[in-house]
Amino acid sequence: MFALTTLVAVSFSIGSFRIEESERPFLYAVLLWIILVFSALSGLSRSFVKEQEAGTMDILKLSARPQAVFLGKLFFNLTMLGALGLIIVPAFILLMGYKIKFPGCFAAIMVTGGLGLGAGTTLVAAMIAQADARGALFSALSFPLLLPLVITAIKGSERAAYGISAAGWPEVKIATAYAVIMITVSLLLFPLIWEE
Amino acid sequence: MIYKILLTIWMNLIIAAVFLYVEPAAGFPGEVSRILFFHVPTAWVATLAFFLSMIASCVYLITRKVNADFLAQSSAELGFLFCFLATVTGSIFAKATWGSFWNWDPRQTSIVMLLMIYGAYFVLRSAVPDHEKRRVFAGVYSILAFCTVPFLVFVVPRITSSLHPEDTLNPASPGMDMKTLIFFLGSLCAYTGLFVWMLRLKVRMLKIMDKEQGVKFKV
Repeated sequence: MFALTTLVAVSFSIGSFRIEESERPFLYAVLLWIILVFSALSGLSRSFVKEQEAGTMDILKLSARPQAVFLGKLFFNLTMLGALGLIIVPAFILLMGYKIKFPGCFAAIMVTGGLGLGAGTTLVAAMIAQADARGALFSALSFPLLLPLVITAIKGSERAAYGISAAGWPEVKIATAYAVIMITVSLLLFPLIWEE
Repeated sequence: MIYKILLTIWMNLIIAAVFLYVEPAAGFPGEVSRILFFHVPTAWVATLAFFLSMIASCVYLITRKVNADFLAQSSAELGFLFCFLATVTGSIFAKATWGSFWNWDPRQTSIVMLLMIYGAYFVLRSAVPDHEKRRVFAGVYSILAFCTVPFLVFVVPRITSSLHPEDTLNPASPGMDMKTLIFFLGSLCAYTGLFVWMLRLKVRMLKIMDKEQGVKFKV
């Protein structure tokens, strides 16, 4: 809901012709990722808090291995991000008149960027569920971790949409590496948090 | 005590020497290249401190010895301080050579992200009320954050071009003459010594505070 509201607001106030042709590639990529990241964060922060509030955390601790819990939460988050992307990205393209030169590369950067978003935030979500001031803490903790990814993703979408060539897909590779590293490290560290 | 005196003398000697004895590097306007002796060591100490903090966090998570967590926390705090100093000195240099204090050069971007990461680390520490849990969380976050650093240091600068003087003022390249190199390394040692001294003070302080809290708890 937050995602759609932001999208409508952005599209309403900027429209498809308000931005100069020469400035579009960069600004569109930035706008798209701002919408995606902020709407994703509001959902991602809830993934473990829900368990805590429903009181199911302890039973989950007893009945399942920590790795299994982590992977379950990760897949849930990724599914949610996927659904979000499937709504937001086409709507953004239609509403803003976003022309994409290399659709394959653009799709790849969206998928790997989403993967990185989920991978980088799941562990943080598990931590904040056991701390005070959860909402604010979640953004404070995850923004610094996500910044390299978001910068890469913005560059990547800019290149895929308006670039001269998309050869090699460098940003897709970086985002994939980021996601793989974050998932591996999180898997190793998650049991420590979970058993506290 | 003797360590403190030696360090003071050494540092003062280096500071005097880099202003009076060493000539400014060629290719830079006026005296600006002298910042090398202050900016690079602070950045080096910040890197060292963050690395040490990460290692100490790992040690804490494995052994659960409280002292390792004290070391991790002190090191992160000092690293933050030196990182801030590196940002400020770098920014002054940027004003003198590039014409503006801040222009989102990849180096500036990555250092600001480092500040944000460790800012978040302190926020996390203050937001978890339980001692044991706070230590574990901080350790985990420190390791997680450290894994994103390679992206900042190696990847982001390669996507966008940087104006950061690397080849002209890098000790590994032949661009630096012998005299500069000696005093540069001397300054590096001085700053590292200063860091070690501050770190020991800080760790001692945390230990005393912890003990005091324990006493209060018992009463």
